[in-house]
Amino acid sequence: MRIPHFLSAFAAALALACTGDRSKDADASTTFRVALLTPGPITDHSWNAGAYSGLLEIRDSLGAEISHIQTKTPAEFEENFREYGKRGYSLIFGHGFEFQDAVRRVAPLFPKSVYVVTSSQLAGPNFAGIRFAFEEPAYIAGMIAASVSRTGVIGLLGGTELPPVHAGFTAFRDGVRRVRPESRILVSFVGNWDDASAAKEQALAQIAQGADVIFQNADAAGLGVFQAAREKTGVVVIGSNSDQNGVAPDVVLGSVVIDLPRAYLTVARVIRDGRFTGSVFELGAASEVVRYVANPAMPGRVPHAAQVTADSVWQAFVNGSFHLDPDEATRETSR
Amino acid sequence: MIVLAFLVQALRIAVPYLFAAAGGVLCERSGVIALTLEGWMLTGAFSATLGSYYSGSAWAGLVCGVAGGLLAASLHALATVRYRADQVVVGIAANLLAVGATRFFLRLAFDSSSNSPRVSGFDWFAAVSGGGTSDGASLLSSLANPLVLLGMLSLPFVSWLLNGTPFGLRVRAVGERPDAAVSVGIHVGRVRWLAVLGAGALASLGGSYLALEQHQFTDSMTAGRGFIALAAVIFGNWEPRRVAVACALFAIAETLQIQLQGLQLIPSQFVEMIPYLLTIIALAGVVGRSVSPAALGRQVD
Repeated sequence: MRIPHFLSAFAAALALACTGDRSKDADASTTFRVALLTPGPITDHSWNAGAYSGLLEIRDSLGAEISHIQTKTPAEFEENFREYGKRGYSLIFGHGFEFQDAVRRVAPLFPKSVYVVTSSQLAGPNFAGIRFAFEEPAYIAGMIAASVSRTGVIGLLGGTELPPVHAGFTAFRDGVRRVRPESRILVSFVGNWDDASAAKEQALAQIAQGADVIFQNADAAGLGVFQAAREKTGVVVIGSNSDQNGVAPDVVLGSVVIDLPRAYLTVARVIRDGRFTGSVFELGAASEVVRYVANPAMPGRVPHAAQVTADSVWQAFVNGSFHLDPDEATRETSR
Repeated sequence: MIVLAFLVQALRIAVPYLFAAAGGVLCERSGVIALTLEGWMLTGAFSATLGSYYSGSAWAGLVCGVAGGLLAASLHALATVRYRADQVVVGIAANLLAVGATRFFLRLAFDSSSNSPRVSGFDWFAAVSGGGTSDGASLLSSLANPLVLLGMLSLPFVSWLLNGTPFGLRVRAVGERPDAAVSVGIHVGRVRWLAVLGAGALASLGGSYLALEQHQFTDSMTAGRGFIALAAVIFGNWEPRRVAVACALFAIAETLQIQLQGLQLIPSQFVEMIPYLLTIIALAGVVGRSVSPAALGRQVD
């Protein structure tokens, strides 16, 4: 294992050397420099791709100098955080919960840089997490699902039972119950995030139990849910995280979206303007980073009255007059 | 009707196991460790997707899937039979290669590292029945897939091949007593080559089934099914009939897992353990000692 480690560290250093060379001459105090570490390839059309287009937007809108590296192991996380810190980057993103331990160790060594971790509750003098209030649009999606369902049976299908998935499902279920308290809710988990066949079988089992709306949060495995819906008439799916309306326009009712590019830009603006206070970035309805996006290819599916109610609840989220109880969000989903 | 729906679902889940395990039996009975089943399945799934995408026909996809499996298997045979490399090392390397290569070509062909666009599959029956939700319709549409029928026939076919043909006799001889086989003029290398190629073709059919059922390729979509099939081969003591029972058992356990989640009585993490738990119990208690082909993994000069 020694050689691959050495090689990857070397490759990382080389990549940094290449990206960093030009900026050595530039005045580090005037150039806004932003770096991004992703846990996977930026061509995944999903989680990592979203972060990368956020980085590009930071470059285009704020004139920042950017750098990106794909990392795999925690050792690489730390190594690269250190390198970027040494080179005086102003803002360094670690794209995912898994980066938070490395940030906690490295950030105190480079007080001039700010480290930001996506999907984390981390906070410190020069580091913070971004928390997406995914449950707010999930609640809206639940209301809409309840108004569309004919059978009154609604399925929730996740990858594994992670806390953020759980919170989204709980809010969705509360949204369903608000409109139709008597509805039946089925919850299942695939057990991983990439077995589309297994997800398809899970979805077919839910459909066999009467589910005609399925809310999926299973990443690549979720593609199997769309396939299951295609094979059964009258079943629609609500997608998660990215706008999946175009992935299967014939069966997707809408998507609960986290707008990663907008989130990245929002955070970068705060850092650039020196407004960072050392607290978690809470991005909810008001920030427009999270929202429910109806599928334009499926118009007229949602009853008008239900849409109006959902819109008014969304407005209440936006202006802060309605909150979801955070304790509620951590409650057991499977009930 | 509930029982019927359960069995149909178990059958759908069993198909990839049956194909891969049939390949595994053939390969291992010839004395070559079938550690690469997973890689052959994945290669088959990807090439089937490519074929179906560019031709628009699932049948062409199937042919490409088998071609991909044959290509991967010939690499394996080249390393292990021709150049006598360590079979376990080659097996592990070939699996890693399959994951990397499919991802690389996925990106090259479709500019995505996660999934391909939608391709055509064997869904003519679903189109005819209008996607009815009744169990009867679901049974028929599952059976109407030619790969499901082929899958059910794969282990009987391998059983006939091994026990009813001269080639099968040679495969068994090469896997048990290669020295004796050489002494009666059997070309060990050639027999093993054919067995590995046959295994690659069978396993790639399992992968093609996954991809065509899903109408697309997703990164690492075989998700360990090749290893489960290999477990079924060992669990079934390299006897096609018992291997078929083992595959059925794994598929039923998985179906049970899915159905139990729907009842929501037990936490999902526990329910997800069922197939694996069953494997361990079955391997430790029910089967007792399994006897592998005597020359499994042994090189012959």
